[in-house]
Amino acid sequence: MEEGQWILQLLGRLHPMVVHFPIGLLVVALFFESLTIGGKRNSLREGIKWMLYAGVVFAILSVIFGWFLKTQDDYSGLLVQNHQNFGIATAVISIFSLFLLERSIKGKLKDFLLYRISLAITVLLLIIAGHLGSSLTHGEDFLTSVFLNEESDYDNEKTALLLSRFKDVDSLSIVQQDELNLGVRAIFAHNCYQCHSENKRKGELTLDNKEGVYAGGESGVVIVEGKPDKSELFRRISLSPNDDEVMPKKGKVLKPDEIALVKLWIKNGAHWSDQALKVFPEADLALTKPELPKNTPEKHPVDQLIDVYFKKNEISWPDTVDDHAFVRRVYLDVVGLLPNPDEVSEFVGNRNPNKRDELINQLLNDSTNYTQHWLTFWNDLLRNDYSGPGFITGGRKQITNWLYESLEQNKPYDQMVKELINPSVESEGFIKGIQWRGVVNASQRTEMQAAQNIGQSLLGVNVKCASCHNSFVSNLTLDQSYGFAAIFADSVLELNRCDKPIGKMAKVSFLYPELGDVDAATVMERLALLSEVIVKPENGRMYRTLVNRIWQKFMGRGIVEPVDEMDNQPWDANVLDWLASDFIASGYNLKHLMRQILTSKTYQLSTVKYSNQVEIKSDYVFQGPIVRRLSAEQFSDAVSQTIAPMYPTVEYDPLGNIMKDKRFWHREVKFDRTVLPEPGIRYFRQQIRIPQNTIKKAQVLISVDHAYTLFINGNEVAKGANWREVDKIEVSKYLFPGNNTIAIIGHNEGTIANPAGILFGMRLYLENGKEIDIDSDKNWKSTDVLPDTEWVQINFDDSDWKETQNYGSANWGKLVEFSFDDGEQQIARASLVKQHPFMKALGRPSRENVTTTRDEQATLLQALELTNGEYFNTVLNEGATQWLNTIGNKSEEIAETLYLKLLGRKPTPKEMKIIIDAFGSTADKETVQDLFWSVLILPEFQFIY
Amino acid sequence: MNAVDNKSRREFIKKMTAASLSAAATTIPTANFLSSCSRTEALASKADTVILLWMAGGMAHTETFDPKAYVPYEKGVESKRVLSTFPKSPTIVDGLHFSEGLEGIGSVMDKGAIIRSYKSADLGHILHTRHQYHWHTCYEPPQSVQAPHIGAWIAKELGPLNDVIPPFIAMGQRFTVGEAEELKAFHSAGFLGTEFGPFLIPDPSTGLDSVRPPKGMTMKRFEARYKLYKELANNSRVLENGSDYQRESLMRSMEQSYRLLNSPEAKVFDLSEESKETYDTYNTGRFGLGCLLAKRLAMNGGRFISVSTEYEPFLGWDTHENGHLRAAKMKELIDRPIAQLIKDLAESGHLDHTLIILASEFSRDAIMEGRPGLKVKDQVNQPDVIEDEKFYGMHRHFTDGSSVLMWGGGIKKGLVYGKTADERPCSSIENPVVIDQIHQSVYHALGIDSQTNYTIEGRPFYTTPDGHGKPILDLFT
Repeated sequence: MEEGQWILQLLGRLHPMVVHFPIGLLVVALFFESLTIGGKRNSLREGIKWMLYAGVVFAILSVIFGWFLKTQDDYSGLLVQNHQNFGIATAVISIFSLFLLERSIKGKLKDFLLYRISLAITVLLLIIAGHLGSSLTHGEDFLTSVFLNEESDYDNEKTALLLSRFKDVDSLSIVQQDELNLGVRAIFAHNCYQCHSENKRKGELTLDNKEGVYAGGESGVVIVEGKPDKSELFRRISLSPNDDEVMPKKGKVLKPDEIALVKLWIKNGAHWSDQALKVFPEADLALTKPELPKNTPEKHPVDQLIDVYFKKNEISWPDTVDDHAFVRRVYLDVVGLLPNPDEVSEFVGNRNPNKRDELINQLLNDSTNYTQHWLTFWNDLLRNDYSGPGFITGGRKQITNWLYESLEQNKPYDQMVKELINPSVESEGFIKGIQWRGVVNASQRTEMQAAQNIGQSLLGVNVKCASCHNSFVSNLTLDQSYGFAAIFADSVLELNRCDKPIGKMAKVSFLYPELGDVDAATVMERLALLSEVIVKPENGRMYRTLVNRIWQKFMGRGIVEPVDEMDNQPWDANVLDWLASDFIASGYNLKHLMRQILTSKTYQLSTVKYSNQVEIKSDYVFQGPIVRRLSAEQFSDAVSQTIAPMYPTVEYDPLGNIMKDKRFWHREVKFDRTVLPEPGIRYFRQQIRIPQNTIKKAQVLISVDHAYTLFINGNEVAKGANWREVDKIEVSKYLFPGNNTIAIIGHNEGTIANPAGILFGMRLYLENGKEIDIDSDKNWKSTDVLPDTEWVQINFDDSDWKETQNYGSANWGKLVEFSFDDGEQQIARASLVKQHPFMKALGRPSRENVTTTRDEQATLLQALELTNGEYFNTVLNEGATQWLNTIGNKSEEIAETLYLKLLGRKPTPKEMKIIIDAFGSTADKETVQDLFWSVLILPEFQFIY
Repeated sequence: MNAVDNKSRREFIKKMTAASLSAAATTIPTANFLSSCSRTEALASKADTVILLWMAGGMAHTETFDPKAYVPYEKGVESKRVLSTFPKSPTIVDGLHFSEGLEGIGSVMDKGAIIRSYKSADLGHILHTRHQYHWHTCYEPPQSVQAPHIGAWIAKELGPLNDVIPPFIAMGQRFTVGEAEELKAFHSAGFLGTEFGPFLIPDPSTGLDSVRPPKGMTMKRFEARYKLYKELANNSRVLENGSDYQRESLMRSMEQSYRLLNSPEAKVFDLSEESKETYDTYNTGRFGLGCLLAKRLAMNGGRFISVSTEYEPFLGWDTHENGHLRAAKMKELIDRPIAQLIKDLAESGHLDHTLIILASEFSRDAIMEGRPGLKVKDQVNQPDVIEDEKFYGMHRHFTDGSSVLMWGGGIKKGLVYGKTADERPCSSIENPVVIDQIHQSVYHALGIDSQTNYTIEGRPFYTTPDGHGKPILDLFT
């Protein structure tokens, strides 16, 4: 240290003392000043003046000393900077106050007002500066830490209790020793693990396991059994808070009780318990099986429980919704569709008092629509999708067929879980995970993915954190995660911490070993064991997790939130556990569980208003359901139901019809590679041979991306320009026995190369009852050079034309209308459709990861998709044409039908006037399209109230 | 929400109308529930716009910006002799040579820097899109949560610079090509929420369509339609039900989209506003027009803009055969528009606040697959002796060295950073750079704290894994 510097340093260190003078002086000055307001107690004035003088002097001194402290002792950071700024401001404004006071006294200012304001500001700045200063010395959470903080209160209480129980006991029993040790380890966990755990071995010391504690760190052993005074650990925690060597760290030390407990533990021999330490709150595995309350007027079990809850929270039962709102809500919740207007009016008019229960049953029994709605929920939860990363290299597998059938049969949930974990070929996709080509991070190997996904989806526990290192947010350890993952591994897994092998091998075990042993020689045996163990009714956690998810779907918020963190406190444990027990008692019947919730008055309550989302997230008190947004699938299906089919194709056809949906086009080549076709016109020809039998009927199915003209034997037969539609054409009059020529002009639109394809099928119905199908995609030849006009004729020589390229169906999916049977128009339910940009914009997740809550937030990109998205506008345009054909062009009639279909009600006179004013009484295609849009965008349509 | 304070941010707030500000105050975007880290200090920034010029498919450094000994084609030449298939050509910077065909870019190297020692991650068995995912998100797929694209991070942290231009625009890539699903996986805001996802413009010449009313709809009709919706919404009977914030957030997003589509500033997307001469200079194809649109966006408040040469398996820079001929064509595609972009931005003064990066997922080599010492599956068949010109070129994937170019936004001018070996394997041998450093350098230029993170599913997720990446400060003035 340089000569003289020590003086500065000394003065600097006087800063914490000196600052208290201006604080006292200025605050008291302000207090006395307030006593003089209204011209009273003028005798105080002289005293106030001197106090202010003294205060100003000390404020300036404080600033100077503070400066020394900062520069000599190397303080830096934002907090210091702020403290400094406020300190200087305090001094400056205090000088100014003094100046104003003098002028007021001398009569140069007409009253004391300015001075008083200035003094008040001085004190305000002083308080802020003081607070920042105390945050510097005592830690930023010094103030806030006294506020409700369950964890630390709990700890301290527990520490104090242990201390009072054990401190005067001469010799502790082994049970007491265990308790004492766990108490000490809890202290370590909260105060020391941050730096001294396997995750972060500061000073080579780990305190989160037995070996580490006894082995000590860089400076040797830290605990001498029986001798606290010789133990380095005790010495360090009991140093003065300002000592450089104090632990946990300067400014933040252990509480006296905690230090005393550690001392007691070392004195008693520093025993180590074999029990695992649970630092974080953990929900009991078993259900509590609550009794239903007796003295309540409610009949429905859920309502009885909620009645008790409401009483406890001093809430009176809100109103239930009217029939209109109920019917729309329950349709969307159970089958994901809008009720049609007839169904609404019939329901509203029905006088049967049980009509709501009956409707719920009717909808739950509509297996097809129930399945096609709930498929979405399960696909999200089990991250099952028709497309996505991984499929390309065979690293991923769908479980769609298994899932669809399971839902359709209402398979018991325990059975579903068993089949997911100990799978057949059909259901193995879930635990197989997603394997991208190449090497992956250790925490993402497929065995670990299985553990993570079972944890998150089925058990509401976060294994992800603990698959890289011991979790910071739960009690899960790296050992446990690897033990779980090892069940799925066909070789011994080596533990990796943060992707680095640590030379320790995983020991097969389930997260909850109390449920049963899962170790066996082979993966198959282990999966069989796990599947039996995990579904045991004793595993209340699993059933609670599912019940909570279903509740959240119906009510907008779970009983526990977030729904994947089932160790969090439920807002009512009885409701949750009763429903879970009831679910088990019903034979794991999903529809029974849903019926229990849906038939309750609780489900049928009006939606609750909140001023912002935060109120729903924290300190939540249940008062009724929350308004929910239509999902991407619900929105799409509603459009398909009412306006025009939103999606013409599906990826999964539950009826199992396999169509050879192959689109062909001219083969386009760049550098020897087949590439996407450039825009432009291409010519296609095929020769077919027709047998001598008489043709009764011949049907062509054709759909071309983007446009076509079809010729048969030189005759122009049809034209079309919509790949979403299938043209069905009777062509027998153009055909004759022998060779026939089919020719197509295809047009690929657009500005850059893009998918193009012809889908063509022909079926001949012969007099003798036989049917002959002409293959849709074989034997075609094509050219990109404009041929002679003769090219549509039979005799044309096409030997220099090339074979067409089969472009598959990846860019289009399976057209539901591509069928020779003339059935009703089918709707492709959105849950069966491949991820689509429109649905993506509306929040359908890409299912690379488990998704258990969707983002319901409206976003700009979404609004753009709705406003100028070409796809959506095309559908509305198609719908407008259809409506004008079927309903006519009276604006009033169109508006009324649209409101009934989309909103389940007629427009009010005012709404009708707005519409007529905008469009006049006669509608055209544009106005109909724009009316569709306006109503589909309405919050009233997009929310489930 | 965060303490990042820079010029552009303030300007942006000034630009927002009072109405949109008060509206913003009543809503809480979902991602706000992700608790952000607390920032300790405000950072100074040089750049507020980023343009990423993406050389998709693996651009060989030895054929472009880091040429080695030239071995001309002749029948019977040994593959192992072929290090570069083009002669060297000088650039404006003394001693800096590029491969022939990049004279345009060479002429603007006095305005930027070249990193010659980028090392791609070692992800084993090569899948381009996996490496691209890694480049763009800084995380190796798969991840247990969806990792955000660098553009989404920037959109989230800084927001739009001009509130009618989406803050994250991705141009040039179609999603109807092979590996489309894998491409989609990283063209994503991941857990940050779709709000920060990319605004996709596969064909820059039609960029205007994405910010105009739907095809066939006049502006008058568009306005009337919106007015009808607003009136119906305001008179809807459910006003008394449910929470206002939900309704408001929905209506506000519709209003924003209406304002964007109705805004005169949408003209930024209109390439026909450029003179024919400028248009022709840029127009080497879709990539060139992407550069032209990127220029217009950078001059008018674009935030993050990527222009891709487009990844389509075995096409573009993904040369599995005919490497020499195809590299020549690719150079023609990129050289003129990139040079012009730099010049135009420099002349108009916009280069100072615009950081431009040119990069590729990895490099290529005639012999080496992956990196030295690795045995990688499915290598391209490359004969020891080349009897057919088809085999002349860089056809294998090389991950141990490649070039990244940067201009503007505080980047040193004329700097050459790092180097690769002159003999095979042409690996990075000086100042090796990994992706974390590239990302952190971009964040550094923008004034985004290197420790930026959000808690997702109970754990912090940083812009670069564990927040460990460090910017390369030597790149900056």
